[in-house]
Amino acid sequence: MTAPVTEPVLSGRKFFMNHEVTPTSHTLADYQARGGYQALAKVLKGGVAPADVIKEVSTAGLLGHGGAAFPAGRKWGVIRPDDGEPHYVCMNADEGEPGTFKDRWLLEQVPHMAVEGLILASYAIGGRHAFIYIRGEFDLPFHRIQGAVDEAYAAGLLGKNILGSDYSLDVVVYRGAGSYVCGEASAMLASLEGKKGWPRNRPPRLTVKGLYQKPTVVNNVETLANVPVILSLGAEEFRKTGTPKSPGTQMISISGHVNRPGVYEVEYGYSWEKFIYEDCGGIQGGRGLKCIIPGGVSTKILDADQIKGVTLDHNAAVAAGSQLGSGGMIAIAEGTCMVRLARVIQRFYHHESCGQCTPCREGMGWMERVLDRIVRGEGRPDDIDRLYHISNANDGTTICSLGDSAGYACTAILDHYREEFEYFIKNGRSMMDGQLAVEDPFAGAVPTPLRGMAGAAV
Amino acid sequence: MSQADRKRGNNEPVDTSKTIAFSINGVPCTAYKGESVIQAAQRAGMDIPHFCWHHDLSVPGNCRICMVEVEQDKGDPWFDIGCNMPVTEGMRVLTESDTVKKLRRETMQFITLNHPVDCGICNKAGECILQDYHYEHNGKASMSIDRKNHATKFFPLSDRIMLDNERCIMCTRCVRFTHEVSESHALAAVYRGDHSLIRPAEDANFNDDAYSDNVIDICPVGALLSRENLDHARVWYTKATPSVCPGCSRGCSIDIWHRKPEWALKALDPQLNSRIERVTPHENPAVNGPWICNKARDLATIFERPRATQAMVQGTPVELDEAIARAAGFVQNARRVVALVSSWGSNEELEAFAAAFAPRLGGAVTAYAKADHVPQSGEVVEDHLLIKADKNPNLTAATARFPLAPADLAAALAGADVVLVWGEGVAQASLPAGVTVIRLDGYAQEHNASAHVFIPLSIQTERSGHYTNFEGTVTPFEACFAPKAPVAHAAELFPRLAGTVQLAGAGA
Repeated sequence: MTAPVTEPVLSGRKFFMNHEVTPTSHTLADYQARGGYQALAKVLKGGVAPADVIKEVSTAGLLGHGGAAFPAGRKWGVIRPDDGEPHYVCMNADEGEPGTFKDRWLLEQVPHMAVEGLILASYAIGGRHAFIYIRGEFDLPFHRIQGAVDEAYAAGLLGKNILGSDYSLDVVVYRGAGSYVCGEASAMLASLEGKKGWPRNRPPRLTVKGLYQKPTVVNNVETLANVPVILSLGAEEFRKTGTPKSPGTQMISISGHVNRPGVYEVEYGYSWEKFIYEDCGGIQGGRGLKCIIPGGVSTKILDADQIKGVTLDHNAAVAAGSQLGSGGMIAIAEGTCMVRLARVIQRFYHHESCGQCTPCREGMGWMERVLDRIVRGEGRPDDIDRLYHISNANDGTTICSLGDSAGYACTAILDHYREEFEYFIKNGRSMMDGQLAVEDPFAGAVPTPLRGMAGAAV
Repeated sequence: MSQADRKRGNNEPVDTSKTIAFSINGVPCTAYKGESVIQAAQRAGMDIPHFCWHHDLSVPGNCRICMVEVEQDKGDPWFDIGCNMPVTEGMRVLTESDTVKKLRRETMQFITLNHPVDCGICNKAGECILQDYHYEHNGKASMSIDRKNHATKFFPLSDRIMLDNERCIMCTRCVRFTHEVSESHALAAVYRGDHSLIRPAEDANFNDDAYSDNVIDICPVGALLSRENLDHARVWYTKATPSVCPGCSRGCSIDIWHRKPEWALKALDPQLNSRIERVTPHENPAVNGPWICNKARDLATIFERPRATQAMVQGTPVELDEAIARAAGFVQNARRVVALVSSWGSNEELEAFAAAFAPRLGGAVTAYAKADHVPQSGEVVEDHLLIKADKNPNLTAATARFPLAPADLAAALAGADVVLVWGEGVAQASLPAGVTVIRLDGYAQEHNASAHVFIPLSIQTERSGHYTNFEGTVTPFEACFAPKAPVAHAAELFPRLAGTVQLAGAGA
């Protein structure tokens, strides 16, 4: 490895959004024309050992893109390919974090990168079967990833003796039934097994006892899609992208009050302000930025001052007091009522709490009822303390990390905008009433017909 | 790994050959390899509060009340649930630290948030874990000022069990029971969050679960209630007498709950004072573990059948002593007596019978053990868990002393001039005409009047003794009630019938 790069390299390098999106750009032929499946061929035909694949990914410093930023190589390295047990890789395409839709873009536009990554990951840990757990609400993405798997089977990239090698892999695409918590790895595996999507206690870790009680690796779509990039570029070349501690790129789906919401691929180390004000075109109606939800509503909110001078990478986001999370960014303009925002977020957590463990099951409904009461104008002065109390009691006491973080969203808003809550409780109405006047950027636009419906070409 | 261990998934099998030293609250303890903190603490006599954890079910870790602290050599202490925490060498566990107490208090706040706290009208009150823990670990009013969630009350889960969803704390013990123990897969948790409900699974019928009533016992709150015993008695007015279920040769240890004598009802029907209020399992790892089947729950249908209270000679009521004297006369003067010995008699009674007739056994007296009860239609004959096909509690002990009665009873009775029928299961029609029949039974039957002599006996709930189950395990039972009418105790009766009173030393 070369000497660590001290300055973030802002080359704007893109791994996924580096080609023109055409009606056929997601197909196998187009992907192969762009150099697809060459990493797989290199590994399988070049006799690269599974351990070397893991080593390459570890050296590249690939971080998980599902939210927790856990090093992928370390996760894979726990599994012993020669322990005689079946191993599984599950692609987590149950993208449910509010504000996040970057995996959707990947599944729709570069499904073969994800499939190639899945094959490579399975090869690395000695898996014979792999699963793609896709969110039930995804329609086009499902058809695209299923199409990609079918194409890969037809082309001999999946199934028995892939590309003429000894390695065989079967992939099953499984559609979830629409539960947020099934994006949590252990709940996802429970759902795959046909059980209720309830997370499982650790220990044992999933890499010890996962799907069907066998060692299992669960990786996000984007994480797996990065694997062929790493193996074709080489770890050293990959590390030249992004920052030393967060190498590579991050797919960011931004929504909210920005002028150009959508999916962006940014290199780690890119300026956050530049991203919001230049790439995304700033805030609608020329308003100021009030705050930003950095990576899905489970990450703590950052106000406009906190992102000044901050770069988009994991360490910088943690230093600023939050996380990059799943890359589902939501920009919030000046004039937004934060009490109502907190209530909307809390309603989501109440609705999606799986109901398994006590603190989250009871606490989320309780917090929503308190916020509901405040918004009805019936708040009590001690309600703010009550919200903190519930969130604190919830933190660290639940089975899964989604439960832990479910209370953060509200308390992070409280930390920053306590006066809005106090005003609402005291006066029975919002401090921000009538101040948010942003026009709908899509007003008057003709809605595009839903793609991927029955009969439509996918 | 056993079938049960495999189903439990998370649980490591416990290896008792290897021990691990650790400490709880500074007290040195030893755990077996594979044990969790809660198991090791329980063996050491320290109870970590728990709702969802049950020693015979898998570990779901969902109630979060068993949170314990683990001191670290450096850095912040680590908190996790004791039920899913494997004990490691030198681990220092704290169960009573301030933080742990605070976490318990918070969890109790959450658990009681949507619980109706209707202890005043709840059948579980007095033996409710939630109630106990509230006083022990929280003791404060709810912090919530918002309305509670409402849910279904009086939901019939089956013909036997009623569910109050508002009281339910979603510990899922019942669901796990039907999946891991009874294997009926009849219950499931449906919906999400604080709208979660326990419901019958779509493709299973909880009525078909022969062990369904165990979920009532393992329910830590008053959510699952027996429809049969609903509102029968407050638990603090009743007491449990250890007993043995006579329903089959498994001989499960049970507790028979009945009214405490000091709380006897005076104004109402006095019969209620000697009623079986309910039957619960008495945990016995050697026989039944913590479970019993539904037949055991319904022992009242066996023990509370109309009792025989009147001794009779050829259908005419006589004093008990007179009937015994007449029967003794028949037995002692007979050329050949055939005795059909009850498999519902205790070990002591069988021994008394054998001792009383010992001088003449094999000679003038022939004794056969007989099956008093046979499987009824609709009854589970035998299954994987507890239920055995032999529907008598003590046929093992009886056949150890006497040969089993042949199927062709007539041949066995040929040449007999006196037949002594002890217990049930012998119809009058199966006895040859002209033979003198002496019947000893606890229950009123039509054929009692047809016998030459009928002597009423005490039943299991009126005496103590032991049964030997099919594996040879001997389990004691105790008397719950005093006999209501003058009836004979079989163990005292046989020496008098055989005329060996002096030898047996039993009082007349």
